[in-house]
Amino acid sequence: MPATLTSDLSAVVGRLRENTVELRSMGRAGGSGVIWRSDGLIVTSAHVVGGARLTHHGLQVVLPDTRRLPATVLEWDRNLDLALLRVETHGLPAAQVGDSNRLRPGELVLAVGHPFGLSAAVVTGVVHAAPARGAAGRRWVQADLRLAPGNSGGPLADAAGRVVGINAMIAGRLALAVPSQVVETFVTRSAPHD
Amino acid sequence: MQTLLSLSNDLASAVERAARVVVAVHARPRLPSTGVHWRPGIVVTAEHTVRVEEEIRVVWPDGRATPARLAARDPATDLAVLRIDDTDRPVAEIGDSAELKIGNLVLAVGYGPRASWGVVSAVGDATGHGGDVNRLLRVDLVLYPGFSGGPLVDASGKVAGLVTSGLSRQLDLAVPASTVARIVDEVLTTGRVSRGYVGLGLQPVVLPEALKRVAPGSASRGVIVVSIEGDGPAARAGLMLGDVLLALEGTPLRVPGDVQAALAGRRVGSAVTVSLIRAGAPLDVAVTLGERPSRKR
Repeated sequence: MPATLTSDLSAVVGRLRENTVELRSMGRAGGSGVIWRSDGLIVTSAHVVGGARLTHHGLQVVLPDTRRLPATVLEWDRNLDLALLRVETHGLPAAQVGDSNRLRPGELVLAVGHPFGLSAAVVTGVVHAAPARGAAGRRWVQADLRLAPGNSGGPLADAAGRVVGINAMIAGRLALAVPSQVVETFVTRSAPHD
Repeated sequence: MQTLLSLSNDLASAVERAARVVVAVHARPRLPSTGVHWRPGIVVTAEHTVRVEEEIRVVWPDGRATPARLAARDPATDLAVLRIDDTDRPVAEIGDSAELKIGNLVLAVGYGPRASWGVVSAVGDATGHGGDVNRLLRVDLVLYPGFSGGPLVDASGKVAGLVTSGLSRQLDLAVPASTVARIVDEVLTTGRVSRGYVGLGLQPVVLPEALKRVAPGSASRGVIVVSIEGDGPAARAGLMLGDVLLALEGTPLRVPGDVQAALAGRRVGSAVTVSLIRAGAPLDVAVTLGERPSRKR
């Protein structure tokens, strides 16, 4: 690979890792999350925090700088498979959000997460199809990408490092992510800007 | 930043370019396969996905459907050639499949369009015979349901081959564009695909020690004749039940499919030497290839 391509990739991955957190529930690694707003809003998958939501304790966010902070669940939506968490801190590096509606089949995407509890690993792939409605009217970003458990709740980003989805599940050999446009709507209604 | 983005844009553009000539092929129950509008009025697809011979439909990217007629099948390359009346549509821009090298980035495009990416992982056919005629490409990418028959696309958006899961149980392969072109030419000029044919039913066998010792090249495997087509080329050449075939024109035979692979490109009427073991002794027999009985359209 030419040197510029490798350094581009490193730069994009580096920034994306800054926006990605690890989630721990009852002391165990559970998945990943994305820093959505600098004032402490974290987005993740509903199924990653499922149990912790009910107990409302034991949920921790591990920041890229290794700080561990307790997190509270502000909103939990099983249908969208999204959860909004708050951590008490400011000045976090929020993710740049891309337009999931403009994804083109074949364009590069990257997923960052904590598969099997390992620290921020990246996988690359391409968009499989333009976003379309799937089962039960849900819209998914579909990617030809090898996700692992632990990637759930983490970011799916384009070649510019903009988050276009939250990794939700694996369907056959496809990776499915909740589109960023859906996440934006969810965050705005759950935690309007002050 | 620019280079990763420009690669991403190139790949998306390659898919867009190829997608213009990608059609859905409805020639079997349930799941349609993919096909490529290769020349005006000619669609190629994977032969194993054509399970009906009547009422085949081809659907264009804009959703318009058109009826298609099966012109010819070639199981040896897993290609089927369909004729359509809709000639006023974009045709595939063909890339030079001979230029594809191991490690080259490639995409597979299914009707939709849907895409997957990967690299060329090997060149030369799956059974290791190599040679120009059977130069299949092994590709490291996912063939999603319905992808067989669709194009293998290079990074510039040109069609370098046809992908299929039907040539091997374990491997996803691509038939290079040069082979597809040759098959299409043959169908357009003669109306069918002519395949050298021997007329044998075969089973794979592992050679016992005694036979391994007399086998040329100390082969340890072969294919045993379990049936012979009456008056077929093998019968006329004097092959017998129980003959253990070891090689055809020097190409080792380990499974029955190796015979078809070794016959690829050989003309009807040409003679091939079959090395075999009969009654414990090695023997070479010349077989004159006949024409595989096939339906003409």
